Amino acid sequence: MKKGNKYGTHRVIEPKGVLPQPANKIDNNMDEIYDNEILIDVQTLNIDSASFTDIEARANGDHKRIAEIMMEIVEKQGKHRNPWTGSGGMLLGTVEKIGDALAGKIDLKVGDKIATLVSLSLTPLRIDKIKEIRADVDQVDIDGKAILFESGIYAKIPTDIPAKLALSALDVAGAPAQTAKLVKPGDTVLIIGAGGKSGMLCCYEAKRRAGVTGKVIGLCHSQKSADRLIDLGFCDHVFTADATQPVPVLEKMEELTGGQMADVTINNVNINDTEMTSILCTKDTGVVYFFSMATSFTKAALGAEGVGSDVTMIVGNGYTKGHAAITLEILRESEKLRKVFTELYA
Amino acid sequence: MKQGCRYGTHRVLEPKGTLPQPAQKLDNTMELYDNEMLISVKTLNIDSASFTQIKTACNGDTDRMAKMITDIVAERGKMQNPVTGSGGMLIGTVKAIGPSFPAAGVKIGDTIATLVSLSLTPLKIHKIISVNPKNDQVDVEAEAILFESGIFAVLPNDIPEKLALAALDVAGAPAQVDRLVKEGDTVCIIGGGGKSGVLCCYQAMQNATRTGKVIVVEYSEENARRISEMKLADHVIIADATNVMDVYNKVTAITGPRGCDVVINNVNVPNTEMTSILITKGNGCVYFFSMATSFTKAALGAEGVGKDINLIVGNGYAKGHADLTLSIIRESEDIRNLFNKLYV
Repeated sequence: MKKGNKYGTHRVIEPKGVLPQPANKIDNNMDEIYDNEILIDVQTLNIDSASFTDIEARANGDHKRIAEIMMEIVEKQGKHRNPWTGSGGMLLGTVEKIGDALAGKIDLKVGDKIATLVSLSLTPLRIDKIKEIRADVDQVDIDGKAILFESGIYAKIPTDIPAKLALSALDVAGAPAQTAKLVKPGDTVLIIGAGGKSGMLCCYEAKRRAGVTGKVIGLCHSQKSADRLIDLGFCDHVFTADATQPVPVLEKMEELTGGQMADVTINNVNINDTEMTSILCTKDTGVVYFFSMATSFTKAALGAEGVGSDVTMIVGNGYTKGHAAITLEILRESEKLRKVFTELYA
Repeated sequence: MKQGCRYGTHRVLEPKGTLPQPAQKLDNTMELYDNEMLISVKTLNIDSASFTQIKTACNGDTDRMAKMITDIVAERGKMQNPVTGSGGMLIGTVKAIGPSFPAAGVKIGDTIATLVSLSLTPLKIHKIISVNPKNDQVDVEAEAILFESGIFAVLPNDIPEKLALAALDVAGAPAQVDRLVKEGDTVCIIGGGGKSGVLCCYQAMQNATRTGKVIVVEYSEENARRISEMKLADHVIIADATNVMDVYNKVTAITGPRGCDVVINNVNVPNTEMTSILITKGNGCVYFFSMATSFTKAALGAEGVGKDINLIVGNGYAKGHADLTLSIIRESEDIRNLFNKLYV
């Protein structure tokens, strides 16, 4: 077996010297695998929602045309990276072969059902046939194969949770796991965008870590999601506000915390201009964790300096060790959340 | 005396409900609120992007530049360039201090530099004395207001004003390095030869001590040679920071495959996020000072290669940053000489 690079650079065809994600074309020949790769028999692609929405619009919603566009992308690039949005997604499949250098060293065996947790934008993929497109949940069932590199992360699909429910929760697994790392007993935690998929998981985990002496505050945009969050019962306070307006949110936080503000603020809201709100609502010895992909680096950096806040600002990393286990455990522990997730996302 | 908001929202005229920085117009009447400081301004240090724009628009004519600056301030109540959005900083003496202003260590008559942007500082220009196109400075007779949350540094007697200003401009960087780097750490500074890079190297060498290791990645041979001569690093690598695999191979040849505990990115060019991520150890941290950093490239990049590391957004402010930076200038004759030569 040929020896591969940990990050998969051995599969990059062009341009040379780059990593698989920025590459324009990668080698998707699955007849032979490298010694540190895992070959997956793919059942379902979970296309990134920005990417799927884009493809659907280009195809005018026609499923046959969606399938053609997807086939063209993979044929051209050797992976499913949407050329217009740059994004990928994840996949569900069964382990078919494990490279010699990994066999026995990882917790996988041939036949295990897994979800890949690295982006499809860097995963070598071959599609033999598109079987079914489920547009309402951005999922596509296929016959095909994919390669996972040594650095690639994955989760084994448990037998006690339906695969589709697991997949939708694993999609945002980084958020609750980082919450688990950051929040300490007694902390006051503000979660912005608390009513969304990752927001609800974060609220649950934050309350568990902050304990009875801590306080979890959820900010939602719509009354509907606020009501749902109140029903779930994870937060000490839930309020609705426009997160792009720092002054009203700041005043509400002063009232709820007696002027103390939050030790940890977690920003999950995918809209622009929420950096200042996050910074101002946090103690100047506190931490802001930006999970929102709409975060502007310069607005955060210059914003904190402008108001003389010594806050620590962290770029949300979708991966942290054990993130899949933490997230699946939440679904086992909270029947209420499992019900809400099944209704909304599975 | 009227009571003010900590962040100065009481001075925002339009649009209501915003903070002073994004506001179109600030109230620049020089009547003090209880939590403000009044400054008699001597020099405006205009942000270089803003100064260049004004210079170009006026064809380098200093009289026209003076008029343009006066007009901007008359219109907005602050020196925020409407095209670039940026400000700068100012030097002046303290004229009055409100009773609720946190004034520890400062008294009336002290010479100070404000370390918050002019883009949010209420300013009233009485007269422009001179515009100096060489160093982006404008000497004025003017008054300015510092809010309760505004940061400033009292300028020391033993360091020339312009040298102090040049160093204070990047004071956040060495202060954050001081917090992050522990004895024995392996540290890589990408873009170590620039102004903030040099200060970071000095502080990293101090903190990592002889049991640690400081590695500098520098694009320019001249900067690299300077770092070696000044002994500000244990290893200096000449490489293009956007070339991921080249830097990865050269750094791990020194550190071994696990890489560095702390990586500081000071290089103001795009596409250096992956390089920073790949050379960082699991559980290590990358500090992005570069304003060219893309949030999404950093976030998705770490996930794509399965790296459990902390990615931190550089904060230009850290408590005590001005003191720490000025003390580096006092301690290191080499850095003092270099800054005098390059930036004063």
